Amino acid sequence: MKVLVTVKEVAEVEDDFEIDGTGVDDRYLEYDLNEWDDYAVEEAVQLQEAGDDIEVVSVTIGPERAEETIRMALAKGVDRAIRVWDDALDQDLLDTATKARVFRAVVEEEEPDLILTGVQAGDDAFGATGVALAESVGQEWAAVVNQLDIDHLLAENVARVHRELEGGVEELTDVELPAVLTIQTGINEPRYASLRGIRQAQSKEIAPKTLADLGLEAGDVESSLFLTEMYEPESESDATLFEGSAEETAAELASVLREKGVGAE
Amino acid sequence: MLDYVSLEADLDEEERMIRDTAREFVEERIKPDIGEHYEAGTFPEELIPEMGELGFYAPNLEGEEYDLLGVSETAYGLLMQELEAGDAGIRSMASVQGALVMYPIHAFGSDDQKAEWLPRLARGEAVGCFGLTEPEHGSNPSAMETRAERDGDEYVLNGSKTWITNSPIADVAVVWGRDTSAEDNPVRGFLVETDRDGVSTNKIDDKLSMRASVTGEIGLSNVTVPEENVLPGVEGMKGPLSCLTQARFGIAWGAVGAARDCFETARQYATDREQFGGPIARFQIQQQKLAEMATQITTAQLLAYRLAELKERGDLRPQHVSMAKRNNVRMARDQARIAREMLGGNGITTDYSPMRHMSNLETVYTYEGTHDIHTLVLGQDLTGIAAFEG
Ligand SMILES: Cc1cc2nc3c(=O)[nH]c(=O)nc-3n(C[C@H](O)[C@H](O)[C@H](O)COP(=O)(O)OP(=O)(O)OC[C@H]3O[C@@H](n4cnc5c(N)ncnc54)[C@H](O)[C@@H]3O)c2cc1C
Repeated sequence: MKVLVTVKEVAEVEDDFEIDGTGVDDRYLEYDLNEWDDYAVEEAVQLQEAGDDIEVVSVTIGPERAEETIRMALAKGVDRAIRVWDDALDQDLLDTATKARVFRAVVEEEEPDLILTGVQAGDDAFGATGVALAESVGQEWAAVVNQLDIDHLLAENVARVHRELEGGVEELTDVELPAVLTIQTGINEPRYASLRGIRQAQSKEIAPKTLADLGLEAGDVESSLFLTEMYEPESESDATLFEGSAEETAAELASVLREKGVGAE
Repeated sequence: MLDYVSLEADLDEEERMIRDTAREFVEERIKPDIGEHYEAGTFPEELIPEMGELGFYAPNLEGEEYDLLGVSETAYGLLMQELEAGDAGIRSMASVQGALVMYPIHAFGSDDQKAEWLPRLARGEAVGCFGLTEPEHGSNPSAMETRAERDGDEYVLNGSKTWITNSPIADVAVVWGRDTSAEDNPVRGFLVETDRDGVSTNKIDDKLSMRASVTGEIGLSNVTVPEENVLPGVEGMKGPLSCLTQARFGIAWGAVGAARDCFETARQYATDREQFGGPIARFQIQQQKLAEMATQITTAQLLAYRLAELKERGDLRPQHVSMAKRNNVRMARDQARIAREMLGGNGITTDYSPMRHMSNLETVYTYEGTHDIHTLVLGQDLTGIAAFEG
């Protein structure tokens, strides 16, 4: 069995930052593995540990800089990695459809039985890559999975998942493989990379691939979304401070709330 | 964390990843609760096997067959640095287990001893401690009174050790004592399982420093151990002293970690805390403190990195380690106080790390050779005259 996990290196912005063109100035960015992907990796590795002969492969669209982040996933138990990069991919913003096209090419090559993605990426937060990929490869999918029955999956080749819906409602769904699951944080407790894992990761493969290697060309990755502007919204703070006894201030607060239409008649 | 002259930029990938994994572990598993442990005077024992699984005990030792990794000395130093940025008590646990227990078994032990203890100690399934100091013999351990008397193919041990990190939770103690049945009563190392008859490991309470670390005594009253429990590969003070060189190397790095955590806490506080209509970081006096702190930390960090290079290529002398332990711990001890001071009243609580580091560093200043003793070691090395004995 083969599990493909999409992993992304995301930029985290420091509290104080400056904007440079349509992005945040590089000096204020720190790169790390997307939080949701950490859970997806852990779920894949737990599957690999529970079953026999399960290969976990990660795939990233990202520049060479991302290799150290990918290496961390390898240190946590991913068997090998694929990193797709090309000058044509070096755009301000890659839209979901573009990413799905690139991943589809990888899926066609690797033919995984199960694909795990994070629910969303912490930087652009489209929250759609996994589902768009499922659509594009014509597979079943379940989004926002916060529980996966690993034993059931290994025995029946069916992903029995819990999904988190609005208002605390949980949905239990069976999804036949091959399928794409987008993994929610909290589904497991991601491990730390052990020193042994870090050592082993040094000799695991990160295969670089260009668009041409995947049978794609620049025209296939023309994004239809463009970043036009980046600015910090002006924050208006309108604070009123009530002074006096608890009774007085409570009464004042109540009248303000009533004025603003908050609360019952 | 402060890395003013970008020493970390020259680390290799494995070293950077080890730093990152340790830093993440400290951030998530140690920092949230350490203040409470400190106040309660408890060690977070659940971390012992976790740190074992992560490979935090003696990863610099070689030996696949014993679950050892042989990472670089720099990587090992970085690990100690990150752990002590959490708390010196956690770093002490890892130092003792790795440098004072696993190292002597690895360097001087028999194959059976290695096979029995190294994998379990490495995984944190067993805890070790190191018994050198005695109630009447601290800075001068060669005057130790602990005795081992041969009796057939066994040894009978008598004596008492004190100030022993981890002794109350240890499964095995490396006990140093004089073999009175051999000529000149040489110091020998004994592996003493703590569940043997006649072994007691009373806990030392009322410490005001290193509170998140368990410290105790080792009482030995007619304790019988088989001959196979003697470390075969070493005789004399060279045994315990070589272990201390390993541990002190880690301490020289650890102290930088504690100081960096103090610095970052103080810098953050100074930019957040407002007095007289703005952040206190805008006052020259506070800036001077930060500038001095950063400079002291950076020079200590340079010394630690150089030490690792010398150790890696086999040119490290114990006196080099004395200089670094002496300098870096003093630096951290002084700077922790400055950081504490910058935090005003908040600085004296367990909500912030500097005062905890500061009081831990009182122990670090004293154990593994007091600051004064390292001064004399350097004095002897520089002049050729030993000033230890009056
Ligand atoms: C929390 C903690 C954990 C410890 N863990 C361990 C452990 O795991 N294993 C272990 O074996 N030991 C351990 N120790 C013991 C530690 O190594 C000793 O405390 C240390 O060696 C000093 O010994 P002492 O306390 O007897 O002080 P003393 O040797 O009595 O020294 C008292 C003072 O006299 C000074 N002094 C002594 N001799 C001279 C001299 N010749 N010239 C000038 N000044 C001198 C010292 O610098 C010091 O200031 C630990 C100690 C502490 C506090």
